[in-house]
Amino acid sequence: MGINLDDLLRHYRSHIFEDYQVKTPHTGVISFEVEEGQAVEGPSGRWLQRPGTLLYILEREKNAKRIYASWKGQVTGIRSELEGHFVEADELVLFIRHRLDREEIIDRILTQMLTILRAPQQARYFLSSDILAGLEKRPEARIAIGPGDEVVIMSLMKRDTPISYRGEPGVLYKVYFRSGDIVEQGSPLLGVCPSDRLQYMQKVIQRIRTDWED
Amino acid sequence: MSRERVLIANRGEIAIRIMQACKDLGLDYVVVYTEEDKSSLHVRLAQKENDLKRAYRISNYRDPNEIFSVADQAKCTAIHPGYGFFAENSGFARRATMRTRPLTFIGPRWEVIRDLGSKINTKRLAKELHIPVIPGSDRSIYNEMEAEGVAEELFFLQKEQGIQHPSVLVKASAGGGGMGIEEVSRLDTFRMVYRKIQNYAKRQFGDEGVLIEQCLRDYQHLEVQLLCSSHGEVVHFGTRNCTIQSTGRQKRVEVAPGFDPAVCKYPFDAKGVLDQIVRYSVRMAGHVGYDNIGTWEWIVSRDGSPYLMEVNTRIQVENEISASISRIKGATGPTNLIREQIRVALGDRLGFTQDDVSFKGTSIELRIVAENTNRGFVPWCGTITRFDYLDRPWARVYSHVPRDIPYKIPTEYDPNLALVIIWGQDTEQAKERARQFQRGIVIEGKGMEGENIVTNLDYLYDRIGYILQF
Repeated sequence: MGINLDDLLRHYRSHIFEDYQVKTPHTGVISFEVEEGQAVEGPSGRWLQRPGTLLYILEREKNAKRIYASWKGQVTGIRSELEGHFVEADELVLFIRHRLDREEIIDRILTQMLTILRAPQQARYFLSSDILAGLEKRPEARIAIGPGDEVVIMSLMKRDTPISYRGEPGVLYKVYFRSGDIVEQGSPLLGVCPSDRLQYMQKVIQRIRTDWED
Repeated sequence: MSRERVLIANRGEIAIRIMQACKDLGLDYVVVYTEEDKSSLHVRLAQKENDLKRAYRISNYRDPNEIFSVADQAKCTAIHPGYGFFAENSGFARRATMRTRPLTFIGPRWEVIRDLGSKINTKRLAKELHIPVIPGSDRSIYNEMEAEGVAEELFFLQKEQGIQHPSVLVKASAGGGGMGIEEVSRLDTFRMVYRKIQNYAKRQFGDEGVLIEQCLRDYQHLEVQLLCSSHGEVVHFGTRNCTIQSTGRQKRVEVAPGFDPAVCKYPFDAKGVLDQIVRYSVRMAGHVGYDNIGTWEWIVSRDGSPYLMEVNTRIQVENEISASISRIKGATGPTNLIREQIRVALGDRLGFTQDDVSFKGTSIELRIVAENTNRGFVPWCGTITRFDYLDRPWARVYSHVPRDIPYKIPTEYDPNLALVIIWGQDTEQAKERARQFQRGIVIEGKGMEGENIVTNLDYLYDRIGYILQF
């Protein structure tokens, strides 16, 4: 499957920023730790074990939850009127304007080349126990997937339904969700790369790495 | 009664019924909701009263910190858990009553929930009181070999009894409402099912404990409704028959009373069996000092043998049919068991005895669910564009589905749409009225792919003819 890489790169160069909403994960009293316009860092380290910049603290039932930035960027639209007040869950409290970096551009372009298994319904999804065990053992491993393999469990209205992969055989290249997350209908769950396309993918990655400057 | 404020820690139709009961008692209330539930009628009804913030958005109905955080913020004095979620969680009930800022838990004492909320404890206690229970394990099993051993024994016992097609049920110990139960009819497939239920239980309830029981095939599912107070009073509100269930063992049509010998023939003394299960239930409630509303669930086999299945230490979905057929002496109109439940939780005496409770007529509940009954009751997802029915003096509808705007069914919860409660002078009239009411219900909607809504309305209509029959 060929792609027009020049067009794609041009598109991303003209859409280099993404605005991410930061919402409260639960209720509590909020104290901001950042200001409007402040630069923030996302998580870092090999396993992303070092948290990003502390954005705010949410205190609930005498427990303080520290909320860190998940993206590198700049704080915009901070709702400072909420400072020191009780907030509900899912309350939008600030935005982070994030500039896409080279690895993210690679990620987005690859998504267009992989065979994507999409969420058939908005539901909670879990990786099948076989895939989960494989990834836990060797996170970098390329797990082979073929048509009919049960790859994901959809938990919808408290009922579990195994979801089978229907595309061409290949290796699991990317998992787009965290096991147990609610995923919107149509959003990607897994990206599978047919074995014969692996080499081409590597070439595309190499080309982006050469052409794109952060 | 002092001015209390009740936090309703639930969603959907039960939140609306609790809200109404609070209003009837002159109590203030607050509701919670999740982002997916923002269009639910329980939120809109609470928000309608603009003088005070009465609806709080939380991340999850299952997070106790969210519930207590809102309770403190809204200065609530009591928590009503409804059914499901925290209704049978003794840890939650204990925390509510023992925290620095205590709250009245509207349900039994936490010790009672702990002892009866578990199917396993209930079974042990029943055995102590010489109350019959279904043969099987009387504790949670976490070991595959042990589970298989119990299953093997149960298969052997059934063969000994001459049962032609023996089978066992594998149940998630922490499950309820028919979820996490599967039947095994061949021992060589047991391990596969055991692992499946164990994984399901771990995901859904956080406890992979499993219970193994003999599967009874030819039976009726009965319930006894009790109301007790902290002053040692125990009163029953008769029996219900909940035999009509989906393939996933979820109730769909319920009837009160539990048997009606006037219209159906039973191969045993039906009245005697009803009296017996009421007596057993009252005995157990008295023994544990039960102090709120509760349901004793029974299996009655074709030979009229009753087996205690479990105790639901909470208000039931179907409590309303028991309320519909009962009258408390001196009260106007039918009983409201949710109101009674709140009253006794706040310390009131019942104010009546068993002799003051009388029963009249038959009541039927139809559970309208968006599901495909021709494809294993698989839930349907989509948006309801029209929900309408004809108002009747002998019917009540409880629903969180708005009748004036489109409503997207949240995929996080069961696709229950409405409860219809029908009352008739006798069983035949109740059945006829249920059919009449069903014909007047209009539900329109579209799925994600533009397909028409699928509901169980036809299934319910069809099943009305089978109620109370063995």
